[in-house]
Amino acid sequence: MNEGVSAGAVTPAHVSTAATGENDVARDHVRDHTDDHGAHAVEEPSAADFRHARTLPVEQDWYKRAVFYEVLVRAFADSNRDGFGDLRGLTDKLDYLAWLGVDCLWLPPFYDSPLRDGGYDIRDYRKVLPEFGTVADFVEFIDQAHARGIRVITDLVMNHTSDQHHWFQESRRDPEGPYGDFYVWSDDDTRWSEARIIFVDTESSNWTYDSVRGQFYWHRFFSHQPDLNFDNPAVCEAMIDALRFWLDLGIDGFRLDAVPYLYERDGTNGENLPETHQFLKRVRKVVDDEYPGRVLLAEANQWPSDVVEYFGDPEVGGDECHMAFHFPLMPRIFMAVRRESRFPISEILAQTPEIPSNAQWGIFLRNHDELTLEMVTDDERDYMYAEYAKDPRMKANIGIRRRLAPLLDNDRNQLELFTALLLSLPGSPVLYYGDEIGMGDNIWLGDRDGVRSPMQWTPDRNAGFSTCDPGRLNLPVIMDPVYGYQAVNVEAQSNSTASLLHWNRRMIDIRKQHPAFALGTFHELGGSNPSVLAYVREHTGEEGTQDIVLCVNNMSRFPQPVELDLIAWKDWVPTELTGGVPFPPIGELPYLLTLPGHGFYWFSIHPAEER
Amino acid sequence: MPPTSPHDGSADPLGDLHDALLAWLPGQRWFPAKGRQIAGLRTVGHSVVSAPGDTPTVEHAVIAVSFTDAAGGSAEERYQLLLGAQSSPPGDLEHAVIGRRRSSHGGDDVVYDGLADGRISRLLLALITENATRGPLRFVAEPDTEAPIVGPGRPLFGEQSNSSVIYGERAILKLFRRATAGLNPDLELHRALRREGSDEVAPLLGAIEGELPGESGGVEAMTVAMLQGFAANSADGWSMALTSVRDLLAEADLRADEVGGDFAGEAHRIGKTVAAVHQELAHALGTRPLDAVGARAVEEWMLERLDRAAAAVEGVAEQREEIAAVLHGVTEAGPSTVQRIHGDLHLGQELRTPTGWLVIDFEGEPSKPLADRVRPDSPMRDVAAMLRSFDYAAFHQLAEWEQSADEPDPQLERRAQEWADRNRSAFCDGYAEVAGTDPRENPELLRAYELDKAVYEVLYETRNRPGWVSIPLRSMRRLLTGVGRAER
Repeated sequence: MNEGVSAGAVTPAHVSTAATGENDVARDHVRDHTDDHGAHAVEEPSAADFRHARTLPVEQDWYKRAVFYEVLVRAFADSNRDGFGDLRGLTDKLDYLAWLGVDCLWLPPFYDSPLRDGGYDIRDYRKVLPEFGTVADFVEFIDQAHARGIRVITDLVMNHTSDQHHWFQESRRDPEGPYGDFYVWSDDDTRWSEARIIFVDTESSNWTYDSVRGQFYWHRFFSHQPDLNFDNPAVCEAMIDALRFWLDLGIDGFRLDAVPYLYERDGTNGENLPETHQFLKRVRKVVDDEYPGRVLLAEANQWPSDVVEYFGDPEVGGDECHMAFHFPLMPRIFMAVRRESRFPISEILAQTPEIPSNAQWGIFLRNHDELTLEMVTDDERDYMYAEYAKDPRMKANIGIRRRLAPLLDNDRNQLELFTALLLSLPGSPVLYYGDEIGMGDNIWLGDRDGVRSPMQWTPDRNAGFSTCDPGRLNLPVIMDPVYGYQAVNVEAQSNSTASLLHWNRRMIDIRKQHPAFALGTFHELGGSNPSVLAYVREHTGEEGTQDIVLCVNNMSRFPQPVELDLIAWKDWVPTELTGGVPFPPIGELPYLLTLPGHGFYWFSIHPAEER
Repeated sequence: MPPTSPHDGSADPLGDLHDALLAWLPGQRWFPAKGRQIAGLRTVGHSVVSAPGDTPTVEHAVIAVSFTDAAGGSAEERYQLLLGAQSSPPGDLEHAVIGRRRSSHGGDDVVYDGLADGRISRLLLALITENATRGPLRFVAEPDTEAPIVGPGRPLFGEQSNSSVIYGERAILKLFRRATAGLNPDLELHRALRREGSDEVAPLLGAIEGELPGESGGVEAMTVAMLQGFAANSADGWSMALTSVRDLLAEADLRADEVGGDFAGEAHRIGKTVAAVHQELAHALGTRPLDAVGARAVEEWMLERLDRAAAAVEGVAEQREEIAAVLHGVTEAGPSTVQRIHGDLHLGQELRTPTGWLVIDFEGEPSKPLADRVRPDSPMRDVAAMLRSFDYAAFHQLAEWEQSADEPDPQLERRAQEWADRNRSAFCDGYAEVAGTDPRENPELLRAYELDKAVYEVLYETRNRPGWVSIPLRSMRRLLTGVGRAER
């Protein structure tokens, strides 16, 4: 097999010592040189080559309490006028993010990449995309984030690399070399035909022929993203070392992209295989043993009953990923409001199994991808298209590429209702950059770029995102009269306490004051009115302190009454959380509330004498 | 007889309470006091449920209430009471107090509605799980019911004809207020459906059965109460359908299939659920063919109902012949099958839970005598009743508006009709998917059953809710002209 693999190729070699941007460039140059001469082993940088960011105190359940914020480096702030957002620009905006109250930033991949799949096609796991800056910039960014108590996680794609990755280039060139077995090669393209094709719009097979090696290689995603061969122990080691590299520098965790597809087995669809779980347990052990307090978040776009497997063994509180996204919840929230019925949400929550004690769902309304409709039935998908994607350009793959505000016709009441649901349903909320000010989208941009336009900071040139020549912007800023940067920007909204931005900030703050939102049990109350979704979150702290939060949401655009059975808290008092007004005490009869159209209430329920 | 006198010379066990009961009864939602004069009250059955010396004392009673109606005639109806008695009950039972009476051990006892007391609902549940017998009352747990549910129960508010308590969102005990001799079809059919392992009804967990003194001596069996699984977090189909119609009517320029609140998906699922219940009932309790004689009997029964309506409502009388011609479809349709059916189906008898739809309340049309309610009938009667219910949901809001407006808005009427057509059609599609036969394949029969129901509704609304009579009248006209029927 590959005798050369364990000898030096995987163990990171120390190539330089000083942590400067120039070193990155220098190393690049060296590598190009060695490529030309056909070196077998690729030398990789080590974390010891760089300064390490300050670390935050270990807090075992921080991810359960955190409000996450997904930020695209490319789209947030440009520090060097090249039209691309970069890590230094992002670092400059940390004060804003701290002011907003987010606890953890999630950065989609910022690694060196040919950018044929938004950076999910990684060319080098240990290098930053030059447009974004350097590893040193990254360390400085983490350091400054930690100084403000903000954690940072990033995407790591384990399943595949870019076809430009050195591993692949070596693998195709030299089947007998140290990387010959790093990918999944085959003489024909017939194996594993049960595995579905994910990007049906662009790919016709999971196999692609490589003329250099004269074999087919396996890829679950694009043909320029060959799948790594996790049956090769050297691949597992190399991947874990890539994780260690960033963990050593100070990162707080990873969102593991496309995690269900790591292994392939005959007679299966190649998803959620036991071998994949074994590998994740191994990764988790590395994190627990060497980097306590750091987290793994699984991206597995599957039904919750399958996703729970990625939390691992419930007997030990979970021994795979700490978190996983709850995909089906998000389209259901949209459906429930359009149908003016709680049942789309009630249904999916009733189907969501218990999760291990150390696990947490990640929930979101929108992210950098399209609003995915994989986890809905065909009928429901047609319905979502009809309701939310009236123009065919709003569709991408099987989803809808729009931002939150345009999806909701910029209706402030609905924006508030959706956000209140996001912040109060079980799971850690993940906000998407720009949605806090109600940014719009540009459906005329290709693929999913429509929801990745520059952050709107000010009404000035380029929305304050960059001072470059407007023509040089990586993506144009939104300029339409409703969502354009002159109408929608951080500066203007900062100056008005009635703005959506201030509202979001207040709600995040209220959520943090009540641990029940983050840690509490979830119990749906039902109630006589099908348009009203009401639930109780209940948490008992270590000292026995009880925190009970009641959330009542009107999914209808019309005012609604609801009678709630709160007899379990007879004689207690609900106090509304945004204003602190005590409501009448709970009596023997059902508790009557009236809600305005798309209105909601958050209450704390407590004995009458408290407060 | 004077209101407070016992029915025979002996002491009435509730004798002390007659005045208090007469004052209390009209305030109870299950008591049909509206427009009626109570002439008298007597106790026809009484037993003690609690063990001797226990507090509170729990009593079961059947009372006969006689009414004098407007026409000067009189009628007697029997009701069940479940009473608690204690010298000083806890303060939170104050709202349930009926009155005071002399206690056997001296002093006074406060007597109250027993279902309001958690201690009493807990006792009832315990007796059911123990399969206990107390005097004439037999407490029966269904075989193989799951781990016992524990009390106390809480009374359910807002119910109409019966009274229920809920045990921790897991079980519901329904006390049938109206005391009727014989096995209550609600219990009978739930038992049958439980044997079938039906997913379309809340599972039966147990029952309380008792005895009722016969009108002419002797005793007859009677169903006292029924315990079933509780459909937590559910909402009824009527309120969900109204939500959908409200959404539609607020969008005058959008059609029923274009608005966000479309109900057709739910209507389709309801159709499947009803068909499954029919199949389960047929399997559990059998079917039999309806021959020409039987069909004629059905038609005659419909014609009787028609004549009663025609006598009271001019609009019906004017079209009696046309209506009779459509009702004749029952005999024209040729041989058909009859079986046990729900008998009083409408959107309010269906509960949406997070996992699907449940059908509830198999008592049948409450105004009919028991013998009529348990007679096998065509499943088409249930289907037609559901189609009528979609009509009601579609036009309910317009009917409310029309009472204050001069002219109905023709645009809104068209939208409402579209909603009705769309959901009736979706219901039939769902029904056909499970049943294997589409009810619309037999249009004459379906139309006859639907018109029969509409005629009955016209009479009912004329008497009880004149503001709503436009709904069945409109449907009646439509069914007679044959325009816009569900079959297409």
